[in-house]
Amino acid sequence: MKRVTWGFTVLVAVAALVWISAPAVSQPKVVKIGDLGSKVGVFEGYGKYQTMGVQMAVEELNAKGGVLGHKIEIVSEDDETKPAPAVRKAEKLILQDDVKLLVGAVSSGATLAVMDVTKKHKTIHWNSVSCAEFMRTTKFHKYYFSNQPDSRMQANGLAKYIVDKMGKKVYIFYTDYAMGQSDGRQFKTALEKLGGEVVGVAGAPLDTKDFSPWFGAINQSNPDVLFVAFAGTDSLRLMTQLHSFGMTKKYKMAGIDCFLLQQDLPSIAEPMEGFVQLNHFSPYNPDPNMQAYNARFKKKFGTDANIAAGSYDAVLFWAAAVEKAKSFDPDKVSEAHEGMCVDNTHIGRQCIRKDDHQVVMDMHLYQVKGGKNLPIARIAGSDSIGEAMVGKDPVEGFTWEIKKK
Amino acid sequence: MDYVVAILLPQLLHGLVFGAALGLLALGLTVIFGLLGVMNFAHGELYMLGAYAGIAVVGVTHSFWAALVVAPLAVGAIGAVTEVATLRPLYRREPLYGLILTFGLALVFREGVRQIWGGDMRRILPPFTGSTPLLGMTYPNYRLFLLVASSLLLLAIWLFFTKTRAGVLVRAAVQDAEMLDGLGVNVPRVFTLTFAGSAALAALAGLLLAPIFTVYPQMGVEMILLAFIVVILGGMGSMGGSVVAAVVIGLAQSLLTLWMNPQRVAIAIFAIMIVVLIVRPRGFFGREGVLE
Repeated sequence: MKRVTWGFTVLVAVAALVWISAPAVSQPKVVKIGDLGSKVGVFEGYGKYQTMGVQMAVEELNAKGGVLGHKIEIVSEDDETKPAPAVRKAEKLILQDDVKLLVGAVSSGATLAVMDVTKKHKTIHWNSVSCAEFMRTTKFHKYYFSNQPDSRMQANGLAKYIVDKMGKKVYIFYTDYAMGQSDGRQFKTALEKLGGEVVGVAGAPLDTKDFSPWFGAINQSNPDVLFVAFAGTDSLRLMTQLHSFGMTKKYKMAGIDCFLLQQDLPSIAEPMEGFVQLNHFSPYNPDPNMQAYNARFKKKFGTDANIAAGSYDAVLFWAAAVEKAKSFDPDKVSEAHEGMCVDNTHIGRQCIRKDDHQVVMDMHLYQVKGGKNLPIARIAGSDSIGEAMVGKDPVEGFTWEIKKK
Repeated sequence: MDYVVAILLPQLLHGLVFGAALGLLALGLTVIFGLLGVMNFAHGELYMLGAYAGIAVVGVTHSFWAALVVAPLAVGAIGAVTEVATLRPLYRREPLYGLILTFGLALVFREGVRQIWGGDMRRILPPFTGSTPLLGMTYPNYRLFLLVASSLLLLAIWLFFTKTRAGVLVRAAVQDAEMLDGLGVNVPRVFTLTFAGSAALAALAGLLLAPIFTVYPQMGVEMILLAFIVVILGGMGSMGGSVVAAVVIGLAQSLLTLWMNPQRVAIAIFAIMIVVLIVRPRGFFGREGVLE
C-alpha cells in the first residue's frame, strides 16, 4: 500500500511540474520596464502623457518582435509628485518587478531622488520630463540618460530672444523647488551675461493657490518681460490670476518649455496670447517628423501629442541599445547608449552625447497664438546644449542678488 | 506712500477677500461640530463638489449665476442624503466613529469626482472680467464681487441664526439637543437640514473661489486644513469666532507674505494658532464644555 502511495505521489508531482513548465515553454520571454510619474497632483497631466508615450513605443516594438526576443511589458507607478513616494516606487519597480529600464519621474525633485536608487541598483534610467540642471551635472551617474531640455539648454536657447526681441528688463518668477530654482539660476545668469537686467526675482511654493500676494512686488519693479518658471496646475492658476489683474497685457510673457501642455492652452488662450517658450515639440509645427508622430499618437489616443513625447523616444533608445549590446546587462546597455543615434524619434534623427548622456535636441522657439503653440524660430541642438559639466555646478558662484543698474 | 498703495493696500484686500471666502467654508464646519460633535473631514470635499457641480451646471446652462443657485442646492441635497444614510446611525456612538466615517466619505467623493471628470484641472470663467481703479491701484472686479458676496452671505447667515425661528432652533440644538427633543421639536430633521445647509455653504464657497483657484479633485484637501485652523482658532463650535478667525488668518497669510518667505507663512499660521491656544485654550470665542 505504502509503495502505491509513493508511486502515485511521484506521478502527481511530475504531472504538476510538466503542467507548470509547459506554458512557460510556449510563451515568449518577457522583459519589464517601469513607468514612474505623477498620476495625481499638480503634475498629473505630464505623468499621464508620459505613460502614453511609453505605451505607444512598447506597442510598436512588440509588433516587431519586442527587444532581444523578449516581449516588453510596462509596469506603471504613481510617484505622487513627491520624492519619498517616488523613491519607494522606484525601489519596488527595480527590486520586485525587476524592470530593466525606468522612465521617470515627472517632478525634478522626484527624479533627483530616484537617481540615487537607479545608481545604487544599476538600472538604466531615462528622464523625459524633468528639467532641473543637476541631473546631468552634479547628480549624474552612468545609468542616467535624458532627452528633456534642461534649464541650461532652455536658457541658452531662449534668453537671447528675450533680450533682443522682447525687452531688457526682466522679472523672474519661479516655482520654489528644484526645477524652478534651477530655471531661475540659469535664466538670471544667461540674461545678465547677454546685457539684460534682472529687475526682480521671487519664488512661490509648489502648488500655490493664490499668487496675487507676489503681484505688488512685480508691478513695483516695472519689468518689460515677466519670465515665469512654473508647470502644471500652478501655471494655469498663475496665468488666470495674472490676467485678471491685467498683467498679461501689461508685460511681455515668456516661460519654460513645460509651463503648460498644448492640451491646456485652448481653455486659457486669451491670457496665454503671445507667450514665448523654447520647446522640442508642438502638434502645430509643420515639421514632417512631428506631424507623422502626432498623427500616430492621435490615432491611438484620440488627442494631440505634447512635450511628454520624449518618453516614446526614451524607450526606442533603450531598445536600440539593448539590441546593440545583445544583453540586458546595465553596464553593457549603458555603454551601448553612448553616442548612439536613432532615426525614428518623434522629431526624426537624434543622438546621445557620450559625455553627459544628454540627447542633442533641435528645438524651436514657439509663440502662443489663438491657443496654439506656433514655431517662430529654430534653434539647433548644438547651440543650446552647452558644454558637458559632469560633477560641476554650471553657474558656480551664482547669487540671487539683484544688480542695480 | 508708494509702498502703502502699491504693496500694503492690495495685500490687505487680498487677505480680506480670501478671509471672507474662508469664513463661508469654516462656518459650515463649525456649525456641524457644534451640532454633531464631529469634525467633518468630508467638508473639503463638499467644497470641491460645489465647484464640480458648478462646472456641470455651467456646461448645460452657460450661466455662472444659474450655477451659483443650482450647485449649492444639489450639494445640499447630497449632504442631506449623506446625513440620513450614513451619519444618523452613528449619533449615539463615540465621536471617533463619525470621524472615521467622514474621512471615508471624503475619499469616496474625491475618487468619485476623479472617475466622472478625471484628474485634470478645470477652469470656471468668472461671470465678468475687467478691473476697477481703487485707491491708486487696479483690482479685479471678480475679487471685489467675491468680497461683497461673501460679506453679505455672512451677514445673512448671522441674521438667520439670530432673527429667525429656524436659526434659533439650530442654535438650541447646538446647545442641548436632548432638551430640544423633549420640547417636541423634530431634532433629527434639524440635524439633516443643518447638515444640508452646511454642505450648501461649503459648495457655495467652492464655486465662488473656483474662478480664482481653478477646479481639481484635491482642491478640498488643501482648503480644509486652513478651515480646521480657523475653527480651532475661533473656538470650536463658535460661529462668530470662525468668521473673526477666518479674517485673521486671511489677513495674516497675506500680510506675512510681505516680510517672510511664503513657504514659512504656513508655519507662522500654525505658530499663531499655538500662541492663541496657549493664551486662550478655547480659541477666540470657544465656550466651556465643547472639548472637555
